[in-house]
Amino acid sequence: MFDLLANPNRFKKITNKLEPSLLVISLLFIIFGLYFSLFDSPKDYQQGDAVRIMYVHVPSAWLASFLYLSLAISSIFYLVWKHPLADLISSSIAPIGALFSILTLITGSLWGKPMWGTWWVWDARLTSMLILFFFYLGFILLHNAFERKVDGSKSASVLAIIGIINLPIIKFSVDWWHTLHQPASILKFDGPSIDNQMLLPLTLMIIGFGLFSLYLIIVNVKTKLIEKKCEALILKLNLKELL
Amino acid sequence: MNSVYSSWSSIFIAHIKRDILTNSRSLIDLISIVGFMILIIILFPLGLGPIQEKLNIVSNAVIWVGLILAIMPSLEKLLQKDFENGWLDQIATSPIPLEIIMLSKGISYWLIMLIPLIITSPIFAIFLDMDLKNIPWLVISISSGSLAISLIGLSGSALILGARRGNILLPILIIPLMTPILIFGVGVNEAIKINASPYGNLFLLLALTLVYLVISPFISALLVRIAIGR
Repeated sequence: MFDLLANPNRFKKITNKLEPSLLVISLLFIIFGLYFSLFDSPKDYQQGDAVRIMYVHVPSAWLASFLYLSLAISSIFYLVWKHPLADLISSSIAPIGALFSILTLITGSLWGKPMWGTWWVWDARLTSMLILFFFYLGFILLHNAFERKVDGSKSASVLAIIGIINLPIIKFSVDWWHTLHQPASILKFDGPSIDNQMLLPLTLMIIGFGLFSLYLIIVNVKTKLIEKKCEALILKLNLKELL
Repeated sequence: MNSVYSSWSSIFIAHIKRDILTNSRSLIDLISIVGFMILIIILFPLGLGPIQEKLNIVSNAVIWVGLILAIMPSLEKLLQKDFENGWLDQIATSPIPLEIIMLSKGISYWLIMLIPLIITSPIFAIFLDMDLKNIPWLVISISSGSLAISLIGLSGSALILGARRGNILLPILIIPLMTPILIFGVGVNEAIKINASPYGNLFLLLALTLVYLVISPFISALLVRIAIGR
């Protein structure tokens, strides 16, 4: 998989075919997911209609953590095999992951106000999610902090790998510290404790969000590839003038 | 083999001595770090109002937060000077493992900058109306946690070697990493306040410190090698 995509031209060829269908499929998933979650899923017996925030909140939270994992993995690829495409991928993932973590925090606080009576609590899950956002932010800032881009890529990759220790803290924070945030209800050893009528739109939304962020990442990487090509062309032209 | 290890340890001690000597020539860094700490401590009673009960509640956390904030300006220079004058390049090309140098840097930074803060911390505690029975535990928790803080700071300052505006970037990068230290460090004294055993938090704090003691030299050496390769 990695070898196949490691060549930028082959990456472009494959993603060019993949891109439009990915957009259509992800939008279909999101549209159906939104329809089911907003109109065709039961109200919660305690929370009423407010439970529908879950269908945005949970997918973005999952993606925020999952994208961080992919960011760290592609950073490892970059540091070990020094492949420039891996760096393009991780620098494309970072802003999208940051956006999802912010979306998680915003939807969570909108959900928290009617349910818990407060916009924000210093609960372990919330705090670790906020720290995840700061790791994304640190990655983006460090990536752009150097005169030469390669320097920033390497340092930021190391930071991304260090930040991976935050992920298990996010995942297990609700089991280790019992606070306001509810414990896990989908990824459990004894099967999900959520009703199928709610699980269906949630799954649709998670797949839709995932495919859509994959689409965004591909667009980002392609833009960055074109940027690199432009830079190389400018360098070549300058070199010709010099000679 | 034995002689290799003994020469490594002598190198380690020699570098700690070097750092202490070079830093003791000018005490401005030290004075400014303690002064900054005192000013942070002063800001809290001014902001909260001089009510003893309020100060008593926050005193423990304020000292920890002050400690983390106070060392930020000096962290930036921890490796910067040696990087700019080429000393780090020399060390990296020599057969001495860079990891040992980084470990000595972390320890010497702790000895130079954080020991003074640990020694003065009982005074800050009295300033903030902390109960007398909590003060020994504050010193114990700070002295075990601050080593981890300085080691994280070492990795952070290796992270920004050669970066533009690194001084602004550094706190954003390393404060998230310091949050566990803060939580368990504050937890020691909070346990004492409710007459519970502080050992759970203290041992977790010590465990974290040991983990950073092992990891941080390697990460810092990796980052310095990256910085030198530029």
